Amino acid sequence: MKVKKLFSLLLVSALSLSLMTGCGNKDSGASSDAGQTGDDAGQTSDDAGQTGDDAGQDDNSVPAGTEAEQTGDNAGQAAGNQYEGVELTMWSMWTSEEAQALVIKEAAAAFEEQTGAKINIEWKGREINNILTAALEAGEKFDIFEDDYRRIAQNYNKFTYDLTDMAKAIDYDSYSYPCLNNQVIEWAGNLNSIVEQPQVGGVFYDKDAFTAAGVTEEPGTWAEFMDACQKIKDSGVGPLALDSAYSDFTFYQHLVHQLGEEKLTELAANGGWSDSNAVKAAQAVIDLVNAGYLVDGAPDEFPSSQNKVGFGQAAMVVCANYVTAEVNKATGTEVNWGLFNYPAVDEGTDNAAAYAGANSLAITSYSENAQAAFDFITLLTTGEFDQKMADTAAQIPADSRNTAPASLSGTVETLLAADKPASWCSAINADENLKTSFKSIFNELYEGKYASGEDFCKALDNLY
Amino acid sequence: MRKNKSMIFWFCLPAVLSLLIMFVYPVCRTVLMSFFQVESVTSGVGEWRFNGLANYIKIFGSQTFRISMKNMLLIWLVGGVITLALAMLMAVVITSGIRGKKFFRAAIYMPNIISAVALATMWIQYIFNYDYGLLNSVVRLLGGDKVKWLGSDMKFWAMTAAFIFGSVGYYMLIYISGIEGIPQDLYEAATIDGAGQIKKFTRITMPLLTGVIRTSITFWSINTTSFFLWTKMFSPIDTEEYTIVPVVYLYDIVFGGKGVATRDAGAGAAVGVVLTLIIIAVYLIVNRLIKKSDLEY
Repeated sequence: MKVKKLFSLLLVSALSLSLMTGCGNKDSGASSDAGQTGDDAGQTSDDAGQTGDDAGQDDNSVPAGTEAEQTGDNAGQAAGNQYEGVELTMWSMWTSEEAQALVIKEAAAAFEEQTGAKINIEWKGREINNILTAALEAGEKFDIFEDDYRRIAQNYNKFTYDLTDMAKAIDYDSYSYPCLNNQVIEWAGNLNSIVEQPQVGGVFYDKDAFTAAGVTEEPGTWAEFMDACQKIKDSGVGPLALDSAYSDFTFYQHLVHQLGEEKLTELAANGGWSDSNAVKAAQAVIDLVNAGYLVDGAPDEFPSSQNKVGFGQAAMVVCANYVTAEVNKATGTEVNWGLFNYPAVDEGTDNAAAYAGANSLAITSYSENAQAAFDFITLLTTGEFDQKMADTAAQIPADSRNTAPASLSGTVETLLAADKPASWCSAINADENLKTSFKSIFNELYEGKYASGEDFCKALDNLY
Repeated sequence: MRKNKSMIFWFCLPAVLSLLIMFVYPVCRTVLMSFFQVESVTSGVGEWRFNGLANYIKIFGSQTFRISMKNMLLIWLVGGVITLALAMLMAVVITSGIRGKKFFRAAIYMPNIISAVALATMWIQYIFNYDYGLLNSVVRLLGGDKVKWLGSDMKFWAMTAAFIFGSVGYYMLIYISGIEGIPQDLYEAATIDGAGQIKKFTRITMPLLTGVIRTSITFWSINTTSFFLWTKMFSPIDTEEYTIVPVVYLYDIVFGGKGVATRDAGAGAAVGVVLTLIIIAVYLIVNRLIKKSDLEY
């Protein structure tokens, strides 16, 4: 009997132990792999003493405005122990082997080397937004997190640190993108996130296909755009690629130019499409479809149509900047990408509007080491590490003084010039009850199911 | 004896506690939440505001929810009839003594051991592909024009067909195990009496499989109401009307879709409660319609 009891106890212990082991998070506490990326970290440690005046400009040293500086310590002496004993935890939206993750690991190793802080990074992946609210409400112990800047501003605002003063201390405005910062302040009431991965939308095109077709200038107006489409078609290439997943985004650009986002929001909420210039916008698209300017098969299933730009079968695609990296990677080519804003339309209300957004970094309101967290964020989003991020992950640099990769040339200038960014279809996405219907009807517009702009708008009005 | 009772208590305690904490509590909380205005799933009860039946009125008044229910019903009915009929047909054929029984059984079951993500990708990117897809290659071989299998008219049925392909093997195995439980004597006696295959199927197999059929319908109903991944694969960037089902609608309103910052966990809870009630209703109806067989074997 005793043996039986002992055996049972052993079994239960083994089961409990395996349960605990299974429930443990292998990434938590596994810091930034400082040891693995230590090569670069070693090179940067000496720079810590230079953090004074030109921090965050073109090196990868801890930026100005740090506690060490504020407390009057000699930064040079502080190097290596400025944040000794400080432990930061970051929840990342990437998975551990993605290009972005590798740069973050490297930056964390450098930060640890320079300041003595320890950074734990937990790789949560793209679905981080599904767990963030619960974690923030529960006061889970982490200091930094990444997500879409709109969600950070609107959904997590009360759990985020107001970064206004810290940003001012490092003159954040001088190198970041005003349109994105202003948008955050408009939504959240304060600056509660720092841009890590800016995005910009527009017409991305293959410069070589344009040249081959004899299109020498980027089309600025709808008429020029249609003219360019005809030339490209004549050269044997499909002018515009379109996947059904982006039908709503593509037509949204046209509608925003035609009506302005404010009017669009009003129409989406109350109807009345038939009495607006949406008729004109829809008719323009119908003309484009009827002229055969969509590549064969479009609207196709993502990412089949956009990949045709990589295969040399299509010349343009309307999307955000990540399309360039997606196409290059999926097709194994290096398209000679260019970007221009969606063309100005006749009688357009807001022809300068362009989509811009960002994945950003925020600090939890209950973080005990907000300044250290901010310094790490600054290190990551400026200077060398930001440039590395831009180059390896093929993204727009968060630090506007850096250079965008060739496939995204012109994007930094576009973002800097933007006044107020247009959203990602927020006007038509605002009502959960109608958004999928909008998307379907927009997609059907590109499928050529509507004979006229009036028919299209009637279908929209029938939703109310 | 007393000693044993306390032993039973202590051994059961972890399981009972786990059940209470991880199943009963969330269920009760969800039901309660469905009557309150709640923004986030994890909001404290203090932040809830009583909303009466407003969440239920909201979801049933939502066009998107109604479309999602219609899609789910079609998957359940049309997909169910085809899947269960095909599964039964294959189970009968495989258990009829054909050669290569093990091979066919493994081949038909194979889609169940492949990740649904890989399976859906194969259907979307290869079989239904407009330019070089399997189906369009066949169509062109027969002299026809390429078809947009994933266009707005066909996408729902394309998704359902792919789902059926991935499901048949599972139900076939259930039916095979049911058929193999039927004594061979009955079939032998029927053969001696001159019964053909069809008669044996309708007079022996079907009546003795009513319990299994009932179970498979319940399983199918649960599978259909929790249909999520296929929708996500067939509409990868954002939810689409052609593929939306209630669980995806729930997901979108609870967590917010692409470019959407508003969330409504209360309405999401109401969707969850409605789906649970549907499964219970289907279970009760199926039990009432398909009586338990009083045949013994």
